[in-house]
Amino acid sequence: MVNVDALRGYAADLLEKGQVRAVIGYRRGTAGVLAQPCTIDEAGEAETLVWDPTCLNNLARYLVEDRQQQAAAQTRNKTPDGRPVAIVAKGCDSRAVAVLLQENYLKREDVVIIGVSCEGSGVIDPRKLAARPEGRWASRVDFAGADAFKVTVGGDETLIPARDLLADRCLECRAAAPALNDVLFGEVVTERGLDEPFRAVKAAQGATEDARWATWEHHFDRCLRCFACRAVCPMCYCPECVVDSTTFVNTPGTTAEEKATRIRWCERSASVSESALYHLTRAIHLAGRCIDCGECERVCPVNIPLRLLNTKLEMEAFEQFQYEAGRDFGQASLLSSFRDEDPNSFIR
Amino acid sequence: MPNSSQSPAPEAQAHEPRVVAFLCKWCSSAGSDLAGVSRIQYSANATPITIPCTGSMSPLYVLSAFNKGADGVLVSGCHPGDCHYMEGNYLARRKLYLVKQLLQFVGLEAERFRMSWVSAAEGAKFAEVIDEFVGDLRPLGPQTRLKAKH
Ligand code: SF4
Ligand code: SF4
Repeated sequence: MVNVDALRGYAADLLEKGQVRAVIGYRRGTAGVLAQPCTIDEAGEAETLVWDPTCLNNLARYLVEDRQQQAAAQTRNKTPDGRPVAIVAKGCDSRAVAVLLQENYLKREDVVIIGVSCEGSGVIDPRKLAARPEGRWASRVDFAGADAFKVTVGGDETLIPARDLLADRCLECRAAAPALNDVLFGEVVTERGLDEPFRAVKAAQGATEDARWATWEHHFDRCLRCFACRAVCPMCYCPECVVDSTTFVNTPGTTAEEKATRIRWCERSASVSESALYHLTRAIHLAGRCIDCGECERVCPVNIPLRLLNTKLEMEAFEQFQYEAGRDFGQASLLSSFRDEDPNSFIR
Repeated sequence: MPNSSQSPAPEAQAHEPRVVAFLCKWCSSAGSDLAGVSRIQYSANATPITIPCTGSMSPLYVLSAFNKGADGVLVSGCHPGDCHYMEGNYLARRKLYLVKQLLQFVGLEAERFRMSWVSAAEGAKFAEVIDEFVGDLRPLGPQTRLKAKH
């Protein structure tokens, strides 16, 4: 069991001693049952930290935001506070940090990882909870061993099988504890008889070519291009995105000739072809980097099953190249390495 | 969304496939030259684009070609072990394997993306690769799935 009081004490201690600038963690949310991300910088606030199955967010995203803010401060000639930031990290979050370290986006000494185990289960999918009669009014969800969640509605507590509420990615998760950590709360659980890894992708690719296209055409058609999926992803940290340039924007002063000669890989219109280009490009840019935190899929306002695109490539990386994103921050990245025995038979 | 892609249009038989061929300048591009100077007859459906090395292929080139209406995309480079830059073709092989898998996963016809190793001495193989590709593309008709509709 994760001892939440011990976690709070650890965070308070780090802040008290001035060893970290801030702690990024979760606190009780103000709207509904879900916990919400928080940043605390005073030891007294550590009391508000929580850890339960509603801590959905991948907090590694906030390390990215923080680094961007630090860089911005530097350009304003302010000397940023060089102390590290601590982060409460689940298994998937810690793998995201590992990818950021692997890519030299962060330095190891810049982050203190407060690992939390998922208690053999994982986090809930709020849509699955809301679909249940007790779900709408639930005020709390707690771990109750590996096989169940304790859902509190008013004064009543019900046990619901974990399998019924777990997020899809948690069902398929292979390592529900952070391997990369500075301190770990809770136990490392490796045996989880929930779902085989990559089950959803395997099911999706079992459909015929035409059926697969019909499905994805439908999804690409519905995409609003709100870019919420990109904004939430800890690996989508490029300051300039190829599908949506911030450097070359059309202003009233842009001439027709400039507009005509500017290279645009992707139009901004939310049409099937352009959204396909966006999503396929994003998927390939995340190959060997996506750690399947499921955040992109969770935040999509039109419920596009984005995880499938990314996990398809992670499955290929795993099966063909024995590569796992975030396994080890010292490993060479998927696309900057190769082996003689890589698949070759698809080449004429 | 009108689904224009389910069955090949009746005029599919008459459709001449357009292939965008990304050719490494050190091998396949020279191979295509050799096919030309050797006066080998082969399909004229491919538009060659010379690239410095297959390792320089961005997946975006492939996606963009399909977006602009290519019926097929070919990437051709040096045989394993022969890369001018030692390892570019190995990096390309991994990257483009993933691109191919991804395109198939969303349901683009599997035949439409292809890779080949063609050295500067293999003019005849170059001609064969193009002929074969065009032959496989013809029955598929025009590529409508990823093509921009505007
Ligand atoms: S969050 Fe959903 S709707 Fe928004 S851009 Fe991403 S896929 Fe499209
Ligand atoms: S692509 Fe989606 S699942 Fe993968 S790391 Fe980014 S937000 Fe998480």
